[in-house]
Amino acid sequence: METYESIREWKDQHITNFLDDTLSLNDFHDQVMHKVMEIAKSKLKKDSPPCDFTWFITGSGGRFEQGFISDQDHGIVYEISSEENDAYFKKLGNEISYGLHITGYPYCLGNIMSSNPIWCKSLHDWQKQLQQWMEDESFETIRQLQIFYDARVLQGEFGYVNHLKSLIYEYQLAHPFLLNRFSANVSHVKNVIGPMGQILVERHGVYQGCVNLKYAAFLPYVNAIRLLSIKEGIFETSTLARMDRLIQLNDYEKILQNCERNFLDLLKYRLSLFRVASYSDTHYLNIEKLSKIERKEIKRILKDGKRLHDEVITLTSL
Amino acid sequence: MDDVMYLMNSLWTMVSAILVIFMIAGFILLEAGSTRMKNAGHVAGKTVFTFGLSSLVFWAVGYGFIFGGDANFFIGMSDFFYGGDLIEGAGLATTVFFVFQLAFAGIAITIALGGFAERAKFSAYVIFTILFGIIIYPVIAHWIWGGGWLAEHGKQDFAGSTVVHLTGAAAALAATILLKPRIGKFNKDGSSNNIAGHNQVYTALGVLILFVGWFGFNAGSTVSVDAAFFGFVALNTALAASAGAVAATLISWMALGKPDITTILNGALAGLVAITASCAFVDVWASVVIGFIAGVLVFYSTRFFEKRRIDDPIFALSVHGAAGVWGTLSTGFFATKELATVGKPGLFYGGGFEQLGVQLMGVVACGVFAFVVSYAILFIMKKAGGIRVTEEEEIMGLDMSEHGSYGYPEQMMLDQSKFK
Repeated sequence: METYESIREWKDQHITNFLDDTLSLNDFHDQVMHKVMEIAKSKLKKDSPPCDFTWFITGSGGRFEQGFISDQDHGIVYEISSEENDAYFKKLGNEISYGLHITGYPYCLGNIMSSNPIWCKSLHDWQKQLQQWMEDESFETIRQLQIFYDARVLQGEFGYVNHLKSLIYEYQLAHPFLLNRFSANVSHVKNVIGPMGQILVERHGVYQGCVNLKYAAFLPYVNAIRLLSIKEGIFETSTLARMDRLIQLNDYEKILQNCERNFLDLLKYRLSLFRVASYSDTHYLNIEKLSKIERKEIKRILKDGKRLHDEVITLTSL
Repeated sequence: MDDVMYLMNSLWTMVSAILVIFMIAGFILLEAGSTRMKNAGHVAGKTVFTFGLSSLVFWAVGYGFIFGGDANFFIGMSDFFYGGDLIEGAGLATTVFFVFQLAFAGIAITIALGGFAERAKFSAYVIFTILFGIIIYPVIAHWIWGGGWLAEHGKQDFAGSTVVHLTGAAAALAATILLKPRIGKFNKDGSSNNIAGHNQVYTALGVLILFVGWFGFNAGSTVSVDAAFFGFVALNTALAASAGAVAATLISWMALGKPDITTILNGALAGLVAITASCAFVDVWASVVIGFIAGVLVFYSTRFFEKRRIDDPIFALSVHGAAGVWGTLSTGFFATKELATVGKPGLFYGGGFEQLGVQLMGVVACGVFAFVVSYAILFIMKKAGGIRVTEEEEIMGLDMSEHGSYGYPEQMMLDQSKFK
């Protein structure tokens, strides 16, 4: 019989086969998580859950952009609230979080996990919660909404998450100010291109001379594309898929120029980091160790990312 | 009329001496703010102590070595244990001049001890303060201000870019090399960590107090109110400091993407240090240029030292050393015919390379002398009894290890329990 420990062992043995491209690596992560879910369900000593539900992951996993290691981000939407159901999914949420932790997905510091009642609710309660978040418009709730927007169904009923996302889309159509709040929430970007066009690197610490790809490169692309997706009601979660859909809308061809290629390159660079850093997760790219061509490429990716981000922020600000 | 001038000169120089002594307060805030909480009480207390000790040494022998008669190549040999006698015919009261000079000696040792920050034993401060005040500072001050060989060459150092700042920085360099970096400053792979100071506001206030005190330091070095020339010196001083701060802001903004606060503060000080040699010898516009260059220089200098794994917690090497060298050389370029009351005009004013050569010789001679003698003293101290606290004491903090009480008791008590 499989245990969390045996899954971890299996995962550690096989994950190295998937370090060549992000898509297959993410498929592999999905497989691992499915296995964890199965064990978690079996541990609750019930043949099947008491009602329909969906288990989604979000964050980089939701966007299909997980690296070698990433912490867990996930939640549950279940059909209907009842004493029995609430108790079951509370237990299941706890069990999944624990199981993922044992299999090598560290607990989420921001507590975006099915074990957190905020991220494990019935459909009706989710609707209420999203509504409240949108009305609140606080920094914290706007952030939660954006995280939710990256939710990708891993198991169970597919319709719930898209239904909930459509609530966000419709609300922002009726209340354009919401989009403005989303935009303001992500408008800060760590600036890594200096006034003289040089790449600004970490000045101190073990990552001296490196550029932080997560904050300087990934986030500008991811945040900008998510903003446009909310605006246009695109429910896909991967940044590349979102770009595909956006380009079809015609309005964004100019803004998105080069972005797809850049983002693919970025994913490649990150995977190469995992290899050289003896598989420890890192977002820090040492600029000095790159060839001249690579350095030029990175600079282009960073610059385009900043441009895309700035243009989208302008577009989505009132 | 002579009497009036005598009194006015004395009064102005006395006020300036007080301003210079007040700079010690600036150094306390600067150094305490730039270092960690666990060493704050130590920094504050030892600075007052070493100023006191340095003053006694200056009274006993320092003053006599610098300004005394019967001089040999290195030092003068009279006026020890100065008893307050007034020299007849002098432009100001000798007592006032003595206090003014005592303050300068105190500033020089305070700069030197900056290189000791956060890791030296208290006993090392005691011994080095005494020896610096006997063997190092008086020799250089005598060479340049006491009628020594550099004075005879016409070396221009109006208020002490070399005598005070470079000398202090050279000693600090020897100290920081021999003490080795603080625990945690550098990683095994050669990268460095930022050990942030605990209070940037203290550091900034320290800089501003130094800024104000510097008017005593530079303008007071006229030791005279004649023709109100001190106003001109003060004007140059203010502009150089301002240009230094602005230049440092711009260069850090351009190079790092953000205007770096530490660099801004260092830039203001570098401008002050640089103009110290030249404030009386150069045109107003030149003081802006000199300060501006100092502000850029200090930024690259701090990076230079960090790359070479030299741990300089309060940037004494860059602010007082690099800017001190530049300031001393600057008169070799910018000294004007009218203002070069000592030495000759600079390169840009038809003086050719002669004055620049003298300045360079002065920098090399004084820098090497101060560094070598400091290194020798500290090396012997290191072999004899050690100059650095133990690893455990350094982690505990010098407040507790060297003095037995914390500068921030409530904050530190929790940590203290770890060492019981």
